[in-house]
Amino acid sequence: MKNTYKLEFKLFFRSTSAWIGILVLLVTGFAGLYFGKTFIDKQNRAIEKAAVLQQKNTQNNLEHFGNDIGLFFFHNKFSMANVPQPWAAFANGQRDVNPYLISATMLALEGQIYDTEISNPVSLLFGNMDLSFVFIYLFPLVIIALVYSLIAEERESGIWPLLKSQTNQLSKLIWKKFMVRMVTIYFTSIVLFLAALLFLHLPIDQNLFAVSVIIWLYLAFWFAVSFFVISLSKSSNYNASVLVALWVLLCVVLPASLNLVLTQKYSVPEALQNVINQREGYHEKWDMPKEVTMKPFFEHYPHLKQYPFPADKTFSWFWYYGMQQMGDDQAVESRKSVAEKLKLRQRFTSIAALFLPTVQTQLGINEVAGTDLNAHLAFQEAYRSYHEKTRLQFYPAIFLEHGIETTKVSSTKLEAFTPGTIKDWTRLASLSLLTILFLILTLINLREIQIVK
Amino acid sequence: MKNIVFTISRQTYKSIIANRATLALAVLLGLSLCLATYVGWQNFKLQNSQRLHYKQLVRAQWLAKPDKHPHRMAHYGYLAFREKHELSFFDFGIESFAGVSIFLEAHKQNTVNFSEAGFSNGMLRFGEISVAMVLQLLVPLLIIFLGYNSIATERESGTLKILLCQKVSWRKLLWGKTFGILAIVLSIFIPLILLTILLWASLSDWAVSGDSAIRLLILIICYSAYFFIIVAITVLVSAFSKSSRTVLTTLLAAWIVLIIIVPRITQAVGNRIFPVPSKLEFLDQIASDVQKQGDSHDANDPHYAGIKDSLLKAYSVDDVKKLPFNYGGFIMAEGERITAGIYSAHQKKLNEKFQRQNGITAMVALLNPYLALKQVSMALTASDFETFVDFQNQAEAYRYGLAQKMNKLQIDKISNEKPGEHDKPLSISRSNWAEQPDFNYKFKIYGKVLQQEAVALAALGLWLSMVILLLQYSPRWIKNV
Repeated sequence: MKNTYKLEFKLFFRSTSAWIGILVLLVTGFAGLYFGKTFIDKQNRAIEKAAVLQQKNTQNNLEHFGNDIGLFFFHNKFSMANVPQPWAAFANGQRDVNPYLISATMLALEGQIYDTEISNPVSLLFGNMDLSFVFIYLFPLVIIALVYSLIAEERESGIWPLLKSQTNQLSKLIWKKFMVRMVTIYFTSIVLFLAALLFLHLPIDQNLFAVSVIIWLYLAFWFAVSFFVISLSKSSNYNASVLVALWVLLCVVLPASLNLVLTQKYSVPEALQNVINQREGYHEKWDMPKEVTMKPFFEHYPHLKQYPFPADKTFSWFWYYGMQQMGDDQAVESRKSVAEKLKLRQRFTSIAALFLPTVQTQLGINEVAGTDLNAHLAFQEAYRSYHEKTRLQFYPAIFLEHGIETTKVSSTKLEAFTPGTIKDWTRLASLSLLTILFLILTLINLREIQIVK
Repeated sequence: MKNIVFTISRQTYKSIIANRATLALAVLLGLSLCLATYVGWQNFKLQNSQRLHYKQLVRAQWLAKPDKHPHRMAHYGYLAFREKHELSFFDFGIESFAGVSIFLEAHKQNTVNFSEAGFSNGMLRFGEISVAMVLQLLVPLLIIFLGYNSIATERESGTLKILLCQKVSWRKLLWGKTFGILAIVLSIFIPLILLTILLWASLSDWAVSGDSAIRLLILIICYSAYFFIIVAITVLVSAFSKSSRTVLTTLLAAWIVLIIIVPRITQAVGNRIFPVPSKLEFLDQIASDVQKQGDSHDANDPHYAGIKDSLLKAYSVDDVKKLPFNYGGFIMAEGERITAGIYSAHQKKLNEKFQRQNGITAMVALLNPYLALKQVSMALTASDFETFVDFQNQAEAYRYGLAQKMNKLQIDKISNEKPGEHDKPLSISRSNWAEQPDFNYKFKIYGKVLQQEAVALAALGLWLSMVILLLQYSPRWIKNV
């Protein structure tokens, strides 16, 4: 029994296609590790730089506007960084699209929080070359390349009748060949995981477990599909065509079509409305009696009523910050409807992912890596509460027109946000179910081969 | 000679049509193309109508502003929306990854925000179905499936020898096969193009612009050339390989490498070789350059003190309040001129870096016909990087014009005497606001686009001539029959 496995391994590694397949995976895998890490390293350096700049800019502003506290806070920015987790280098996710640094003044936040990072849209279009890309796109292709001719080759080269006459357990023989390929692919994936552990300094924890289980299940799905197709006992050209077509369907056509449905069904004009609401909410107040601003302002912050409002002055910073606050307050509804839309989008994608292992795997890995849309929305929320905290901290000093030195603003540091990782284990359920489904179909087919024999 | 080529191509065409599986695949592709056209149009209309709606709202709100100080209007600013080109339904290009709206205000250059990608949780990264995507990615795949055994099967079944023994030369055989497969592809592609043109024309109320018509015509020519290149390569590989299995695996591997892997790698390499600063660093560089030039907020700044002195001298007054125009407005106009100049210089440098990053992919287009066609297609449908940069430039020019217009109004119409703490603020009539025109993005004319895409077009031309030469002269190297 053992010997036949040894023989199968020998046979397998004698073919150049096996070596090419493994080599392709290793080379692109290491390239993915390298580019994924460079991408995150660059962000880490920018975050370090941002910490320095935060202090430098605050000092600069103190020098220039230090004698006018209202003017100082008009100019001074407060920054927060979405610090990448080690896994972010494994799956860059949406970190190239969404800003990882939010830097805003105390003025209306809705006009500032959506500002983007500097990025090349062409690079965004082509996507990142990280290790998760290699696992999701290239591993299935190599699996297909190694498996598609498994039965057909024997038949086409005329060995099949010979085998048939020599063994009465054909499906066992096929299974052995299949196992050899599975072991090889899984071994390659382990090599890449180990390389990732060392190169990206990943901690050995639940996250590692979650990512490897998702990926191994994903690979199992592709093995099951390939096994099913070859069990139909058609020609090798047929197998290759069908499997590549399936790959194109699952990796390109279906996600791309569903995405178009998504953008069509859940377009987000509310975001544009939100900008307009914020802009009008603030600017229109200049032409209105001060009461229009201050009444809702004191309703929002009853405890700030204790500070005397200079109603007789044409301009006061108190009024100015009140007007800015109105920009945000009048955009609350539209902001909520944007959030609502995004939730609907998430739900649509989650349902679609149940049927698309490719999307499911990508979402699952990005989720663990903290590089998905949810992580970014959590970052925005964290910045919102930081912004609110800053406002509440400095409003009194501004309204009382205190000296800037009383505020201790010079000690402001760059805030750090670390996305929490959610592990949605239910993702594994759909992957497992699809894999099992194809395995059962395969077994039925193989039994038929057995009977036909 | 011609007759034989024609007979072979007709035979090839018929045998492919007779094969139910391939026919089903072709029909499926045709249907998905129709769907892509329709959905692409819907998407274009929806997006553009939303943007147009907000554009009109912004204009109405601008005009409705009451009497006020022009500098308040400069800060109120303008919102500009990136319009989609009418051909962008055909190719989405970078549309979903580029921002849609930009806030234009005095003193400050903002980013273009709200790209579709920012609202996506990652499914977008698998791609978007558009007519261009089907034609660029899936049609080549169809061609491979239709054509991989075009010659290999003849060889495997032994009919190749018979063919070559009769008057058929290798050259005629290759051309015949090529035309036969191309005929199949074009019989899907041409009705679709007609449908597209009809749909497009009817939806633009039969008022098609000449520029767009020419763009579409060039697109059709380029796509046809692309299909010809792919068909010829398929037939050539089929002629040179030993077995149909080798043909299929070689072609599929090439498809995957050239279309899926190479673009990502070239772009990643470009980003690595030509790194761009983060936004905070970028803004810091600009701020320090501005500081070197002079600080308009600082009364003792030498640059602005010099302006003040020369103004006082020229008008022979001893106080800026006695100048015949608004001094504050004058200084702000100077400040805006300096900061906008510095900002634009930095932005230009940044865009050049991006262009260099993309340049690697553009160069690889010489080796990869897919990338060559993709660039031409994105450029002609105005969904490319250059159009986005052009939008940014036009928006910045508009922003600068608006700020300076408001400064001019302040210089001319606002008194030099500052009102007291409790006085009514100075203002000018709202009738002035209409003088500031609406923001309208102007697309480049097609000639400029062609110039800019010279390399990609040359790459397509090179590929085309190469496969023609190979079809003509390579058969002499075919060893196995």
